[in-house]
Amino acid sequence: MKLPGFLNLRGISGQIAALVVASIIAIHLILTAAILIHRPDQLAPPFEHGHSQLVPVVQLLGAAPAAGRPALFADIARAFPQLGVDSLPAGPAPAVDELDSFNLRSLHRRLGRSYRIFSLAHDEDIHKIGIVLPDGAMISARLPPDERELPFWIRPWIVTLLFAAVSVTLLGLWAARALTAPLSSFARAAESFSLNGAAAPLPERGPEEIRSVAKALNRMRERISTLIDDRTRMLAAISHDLRTPITRMRLRSEFIEDEVHRGRMLHDLDQMRSMLESVLSFLRNDRKLESMTLVDIASSLQLVADQFADIGHKVAYEGPEHAMATGRPDDLHRSITNLVENAVRFGTETTIRLTMSPDTVTIEVEDDGPGICDARKDVMLEPFVRGDDARNMDEAAGFGLGLSIARATVLAHGGELSLNDRQPHGLIARIELPVHQQSRVAAA
Amino acid sequence: MVTASPNILVVEDDRETRTLIAKYLRTNACNVTTANDGREMVRAMTDHRVDLLILDVMLPGEDGLSLCRKVRTESQTPIIMLTARGEDVDRILGLEMGADDYLAKPFNPRELLARINAVLRRQAAAQTVSATNGATALTFLGWRIDFRLRELRNPAGARVAMTSAEFDLLRTFCERPGRVLSRDSLLDLTQGRSAGSFERSIDVLVSRIRRKIEPDPQDATTIKTVRSGGYMFTPEVEAVTVASDAPS
Repeated sequence: MKLPGFLNLRGISGQIAALVVASIIAIHLILTAAILIHRPDQLAPPFEHGHSQLVPVVQLLGAAPAAGRPALFADIARAFPQLGVDSLPAGPAPAVDELDSFNLRSLHRRLGRSYRIFSLAHDEDIHKIGIVLPDGAMISARLPPDERELPFWIRPWIVTLLFAAVSVTLLGLWAARALTAPLSSFARAAESFSLNGAAAPLPERGPEEIRSVAKALNRMRERISTLIDDRTRMLAAISHDLRTPITRMRLRSEFIEDEVHRGRMLHDLDQMRSMLESVLSFLRNDRKLESMTLVDIASSLQLVADQFADIGHKVAYEGPEHAMATGRPDDLHRSITNLVENAVRFGTETTIRLTMSPDTVTIEVEDDGPGICDARKDVMLEPFVRGDDARNMDEAAGFGLGLSIARATVLAHGGELSLNDRQPHGLIARIELPVHQQSRVAAA
Repeated sequence: MVTASPNILVVEDDRETRTLIAKYLRTNACNVTTANDGREMVRAMTDHRVDLLILDVMLPGEDGLSLCRKVRTESQTPIIMLTARGEDVDRILGLEMGADDYLAKPFNPRELLARINAVLRRQAAAQTVSATNGATALTFLGWRIDFRLRELRNPAGARVAMTSAEFDLLRTFCERPGRVLSRDSLLDLTQGRSAGSFERSIDVLVSRIRRKIEPDPQDATTIKTVRSGGYMFTPEVEAVTVASDAPS
């Protein structure tokens, strides 16, 4: 049972139609209330009220013989003092044939052609008029105020305006709730969409059209996540499976008699292994997190410096002997190792520097290489970007994942990794971590 | 002491890898039997004495981890696990599985040989060290050294980073407190892990350990230098009973 679009209140057009109807009803209610409150006793048109007394009185006077009028005047003054009916001294009637006000014209029409009316005095409220009776006698009377005009709040243009204001207000409120809010939440969701799947799906509410957009966006999000997951799994599976042949080759190389050949082969195998490891740890990074623990971060840095010094690089550690912080020791070790690996590749002397403040641990890996120009700094943090742009794949040049793995680890610690220039030349990779991670552990 | 040619059982499902490991170990004076899966492993272990088990984690049927647990409940046969990188090392070495060591694939065969020797030597040596025999963790001066997790924690509970060679040396010290250990015997006892191309002399390793655990590295009191003799580990060492003081 499908309703037509405008009857279906879950759609945008139906809701707009309902709003218009609602605002019409609202206007009617407002006006009815206003009328009931302001003039329950004035429902009769005002001029009828005034004339209905004056007309018979004047006709009575006109029909009465001239001699009987003084007594009539007295009676009338007693009965209808508000009319102020009195005789005027006989005299030439002013030649006022032009009756300017609607009120006077209507009075004249009701009295009949044998009567003539002229204006005597026109104050603010009281309109004094003279009336010439059919026999030529003149009387004066007070005309009730001209109340033909409607009070301002039921004049047609005000009603129209009021209607416009009410309906626009209702429409505006509805649009803000039903359209604007969901749209801006869509925009936010699209901006913050990330592949770690942490962001909550869009709320599916509001008008039907908006809901279907939300549903479609959520489905798209799911599809993208599934796609990426599949790719990730595939990449991980490939890397994983490559280990078996590499293991075999590693074993087989032990039986190569020629030392030179063996050495070269081992070197290649090591390179393959380290590339696989970097891919796997990159893929693993935002999935499986090592648990946070208290770490002597100084010992970790000393260890990295020692390990590089052992294989013949000039790497020195500067900083306190001990420094406590919360973190993931193996992830941090890998990140620092990656930074130092880059440093020794491009420079000759590397310094690992640790400074502690009550809230922040700052780790700097400083080299004296050529550095990175400002334009490339951001790009270098992206995965699969190499400093030398794949000019050669010799030595330990990996997939260009070192910095991005380091950055992902640092971000997972709630810290920041930045690349800075060193004077006169070289690069300082700076890691800033919060000392205490308690709140973040709960969040992660 | 270490058997001249230990009986080693290799449990690995990849035929090629299995035969290559066997071939390599045989050329290095080991008796090697091989097994394709858990069933063959059990059969081989009942058939003859096995001094050390090399167990792949990924096996058809029952996987390496549960086999490891099973073997551990029945015997003290040393186990070296072959893992894929990124697998839960804590679990493998931890109390749950109780492997003695692990190697991530692809591994250096020489490293495997070194670890085999180290594990066997440690097992032989452990029988002579009565106080700490069978303990998985020791404490000294508030420090805690955990053999299963291979980690050292300072009195404040912070993990202190160490290389394998440093760890093995410290472990050797901890297992023999109050005894003068010559450089040669230390080298012999710790050779396993550090037998790589980057072998450091015992002196360098000691100075690095001192920097990490001594209150004042210039005036070492924990690991004392014994003139013309070697080194001595001075603090009292106590075994940690696992149940009461599990690692956090």
